[in-house]
Amino acid sequence: MTRRGRVRSTGILVSLGFFFLAAAPASPAGFSVFAQGARASGMGLAFTAVANDPSAIFYNPAGLGWQKHFSSQAGGSLLTKIDGEFEGANPFPGTGFGVEEQHKTTFFLPTFYAVVPLTSTVNFGLGIFAPYGLGFRWEDAEQFSGRFIAQNAVIQSSDINPVVSFQLSPSFALAVGADYRLSKVMLERNQPAINPFTQSIVDVAHVKLDSELVDNSGWGWNAGLLWKPTTMFSVGAAYRSGIEIDYEGEARFTQRPTGNPAFDAAVAATLPAGRENVAVTIEFPATWNFGLALSLPGELLLSLEADWTDWSVFDSLFIDFENGALPDLFRETLWKDSWAYRGGLEKRFGNFAVRAGYYFDESPQPLADVGPILADADRNAYTLGFGYETERWGVDVSDIFIDFDERDTRGEENTDRFFGTYKESANLLAISLRLSF
Amino acid sequence: MKKLFRTAASGGALLALLAAPVYSQTSFRKYVALGDSLTAGVEGNCLVERHQRRSYPKLVADQLGIADFQQPLLSEVPLSTQGTGVCLGAIVAGGTITVGPVSNQGVPLNATLPRPYDNLGIPGANAADLVDLRVANPAGNTANRSAAVVLRNFPGGPFEGKSALDQANLLAPDLVTVWIGNNDVLGAALSAAAVDGVTLTPVAVFDAKYTQLMTGLRMTGRTVVALNIPDVSALAFTKTIPRVVVNPTTRQPVVVGGQTVPLLGPRPTATCATPPCPLPEGTLVTLGASSLLALGIGIPTSLGGTGAALPDGSFSPPSTLNQGVLLYPDEVASIQQRGNELNARIAAIAAANGATVLDIHALFDEMVAHGYHIGGGITLTTSFLTGGIFSADGFHASNIGYAIVATEIIEHLNDVKGTDLELPDVTQALFTPDVPFSTAAVPDPSAGPFQYSMGTWKDLVTATGFAASFEVLYPTPGKRPGKSLGR
Repeated sequence: MTRRGRVRSTGILVSLGFFFLAAAPASPAGFSVFAQGARASGMGLAFTAVANDPSAIFYNPAGLGWQKHFSSQAGGSLLTKIDGEFEGANPFPGTGFGVEEQHKTTFFLPTFYAVVPLTSTVNFGLGIFAPYGLGFRWEDAEQFSGRFIAQNAVIQSSDINPVVSFQLSPSFALAVGADYRLSKVMLERNQPAINPFTQSIVDVAHVKLDSELVDNSGWGWNAGLLWKPTTMFSVGAAYRSGIEIDYEGEARFTQRPTGNPAFDAAVAATLPAGRENVAVTIEFPATWNFGLALSLPGELLLSLEADWTDWSVFDSLFIDFENGALPDLFRETLWKDSWAYRGGLEKRFGNFAVRAGYYFDESPQPLADVGPILADADRNAYTLGFGYETERWGVDVSDIFIDFDERDTRGEENTDRFFGTYKESANLLAISLRLSF
Repeated sequence: MKKLFRTAASGGALLALLAAPVYSQTSFRKYVALGDSLTAGVEGNCLVERHQRRSYPKLVADQLGIADFQQPLLSEVPLSTQGTGVCLGAIVAGGTITVGPVSNQGVPLNATLPRPYDNLGIPGANAADLVDLRVANPAGNTANRSAAVVLRNFPGGPFEGKSALDQANLLAPDLVTVWIGNNDVLGAALSAAAVDGVTLTPVAVFDAKYTQLMTGLRMTGRTVVALNIPDVSALAFTKTIPRVVVNPTTRQPVVVGGQTVPLLGPRPTATCATPPCPLPEGTLVTLGASSLLALGIGIPTSLGGTGAALPDGSFSPPSTLNQGVLLYPDEVASIQQRGNELNARIAAIAAANGATVLDIHALFDEMVAHGYHIGGGITLTTSFLTGGIFSADGFHASNIGYAIVATEIIEHLNDVKGTDLELPDVTQALFTPDVPFSTAAVPDPSAGPFQYSMGTWKDLVTATGFAASFEVLYPTPGKRPGKSLGR
C-alpha cells in the first residue's frame, strides 16, 4: 500500500514536471536559463540579494525568510529567437551555401512557486521551473549544410525544488532544498554516404535519437543565505548543485531512397532495421550566485550580481549504442567554467515599480565546439520591467533583449569542421502573477 | 597646426600599413605542378577533362587566384566511340555493384597551347623521368607516351628536348609542387612484383635524380613543396580484398571448423610443401585478383573453387615483368622499406634545397586509421568505392581525394609561408555527382602556332595507342576487368 501510494505521488510529481518541461533556445549562456521570474528579469536577473518574491526559491531560497504570507506565483516567459543565422565558409560547407537560418520557434517557459510559512521563522517553498533548455533547430533541414551533424537538437528539463528557509535573526536567513530534475534529450540528423555510382555524398537515412519520457531524472540540492545588516544593504549567496542524468532512449533509422536500387539495397543491408537502444549521460553544472543590493534614497534599489557556473563538467558528450555493431558517438566538448555579471535598478512609485537592467553572460563553449548542435556566444542583454503589487496580489511584466556576439569558426580548430559565422539575437517576454493570503 | 600635423602623421602611418602587404608574400603569381598520374588527375584508370578540371593542381591554382592555369586536357567520349583509354566506374552487373568501363578517354583538347602546361603531371613517370625524359618516344613505355601528350617533347614536337624540369623553369613559377616517387615504389604493388632495379628504384638512383630535380628547381624567391610517397598498404588497391575466402552473398569471411579459409597462392609455406598453398598472414591481395576469384581461382575446391593458385608477380630477365595479384609479406616489407628509404631521401634533399615537405605518407596512414573528417559530419575512408577517397581503380584518388590533397597543400603553404590563403570549398567535390559525360564536339583547330598540324597530332595519338598507357595500371588477365565488390 505504502509503496503504491509513493509511486502514485511520484507519478503526480512527474506529470506535473512534464507540464513544465520546456525547451529554450539557449537564452543565457550555455544551455542554462536564468530567467525564472518576471521581477528578476526586469532587473537584469540580479536577484540573489533581492529575492523578495516567491521566485526566490530559484534565485536564493533564503529570501523566503522575509516572506510571511502564504503565497503562490505562476508565470511564464515567451522566448523568441529574433535572429539565428549561419554564413558558411570554406572548406566546409563553403561560401556557396549562403546564409542559413534557424527555425524561429517561440518557446514557452512556465514557472510555478508556492511559499508556505510553517512557523514565524521557518518557511516551506516549492518551485517548479526549467533551468536548462536547448532548442537548436535549422530551417530547411533536408538541405541544411550541417544536416549530417544536427538538424534539430533539444534538451528539455524541469526541476521540482522543495526548500525550507530558516530566519535565524531579523537580519539573516538561510535555506536549503532538494532539487529533482527531469529531462529529455533529442537529436535529429541525416546520415551521409558515398554513392559509389556518382562518387558523391548523398543522404541515405534520417536518424532520430530520442530519450524516453520516464526514468530520465536526477537529484541535487540547493542552498542560499541572505544577510541584511542594515535596511539599506543586503548581501546574498546561493548555490545549486550539479546533477547528473543518465538518459535512456532509442534511435530510429529511416532510410532515404537515393533513386539507385542497387545502392539502396546495399544501404538497407547495413542500416539498423528497428529501434536501437541508446544511452547518454549529461552532467548539469553546479552554480554559485553572489549578489548585493543597496537601497538608495528616492525609493531606488540597486542590485549587482556575479554568477559562476561549473560548465567544465560538460567536457564530453557520449552517445552509447547498446548494439555493439553501431558506432558510438563521442564528442569532446571541453566547456569551461563561466561567469556572468548582472546589474539592475528598481524605482518604486507607491504600488508601482519600474525596473531596468543589464547583464553580460560569458559563453562556456570553446570555439572548437561551436557547431550546428549549439553555437553559443558571449552575450549582452538589456532588460526592462514593470510591476504592481499589493499585500494580496502582484503582477510583474518584463522584457529582455539578448544580443549574441558573432561566433566565427573560420580558420579555427573546429570539432565539426563546420566553418563560418553565427549571429543570433533573442527576446524574452516574462510575466508573473502572485497571490498571497 | 598641431592637429593638422597629427592627421598628416597618422595618414602616413595608414599609408604605410596599406602598403605593407606589397612587401610580404601573401599569395603566388605563377604555379607549376610536377608529378605523375596523381598530379595529372588520373581517376578510374583514365585521364579525362572531367577529372583534370578537379585535379589537385587546378584546385590549388584556383585558391591562389591564378586564372590562366593550363592543363593537357583530354576529352571523354562514350563507350560506343573509339577512345584512347578506358575509364572505370561503378556499374551494376549480375545484380551486384561492380567496377567496369563507363566511358572512353578521348583526344587532347588543348594541344596547341603555345607554352608549356602548368600541370606537368606525367602518368607513369618516376623521378628520373622528370629530369631525363627530354625526347618522348610516343611508342615507348607509359611515361614516354604520357610525356608525348603532357610535355609535347616528341621528335618534331614543339618542346622537343625539354624535360618536365626544363618546362617548369621556362614558366618561371614562384610556386612549384613536386609529387614524384610513387612510381619508383608503388609500381611494385600494381604488378605485384617487388624487384629491386625493376619495379623498385634503387635508393642511389632515386637520390641522384631527385637531387638533380630539386637543385634544378631551386631559385631565390621560389617556393617549392615536395609531397612524399604513401604506404603501399594504405591503398584501396591492396587493402580491399581480404586474404581469406569471402562469401559473396554475406560478404563475410567463410568459416570452416571455427577458422577462416585462406586463399591459395603459388608459394610453399611452413605448413604446406606443395603449392597451391594457403596465403600466409600479412599477404596483400590486390584488386587485380577480383576477376580471378570470380572464376574460382585461388579458392579451395572444398569451397567450390578451382583450387588453382592466384598468380604472384615475378621478373624474368632480361625484361619480362610477369604481373600478379599477390604481395607476400616479404614483398610488402621490401616495398614499405623502399618507400621509407625514398621518403627519407625526399625529406633530406628537399631540406637541403630549401623546399618543404608535405607528409602525404602520414596523411594516408591517418586516413587508414581514422578516416578523414572532411567536415560537416562527413567522415571519408580509404574503402574501395564506398570510402570516397579513392577512385574506381583503387589506386588513384577521386575528385574528393584530390580536393583533400589540395586542401592539405594550401594548409601547408599557410603553415610554412605564413600566407592566409583560403582553403578550397570541398563541398564542390563532395556533392557534385562525378559521372561521365560525352563531349558532343571535340575542338579541332586545323593548325596550331607550331610546325605540326592538328591532324598530324591526332594521327600520332591514335597510332601510338595512348590508351594502352593507362591499362598497365590494371594487371588483370582480362583486358576490361569487371570487379566484384567485396570478393
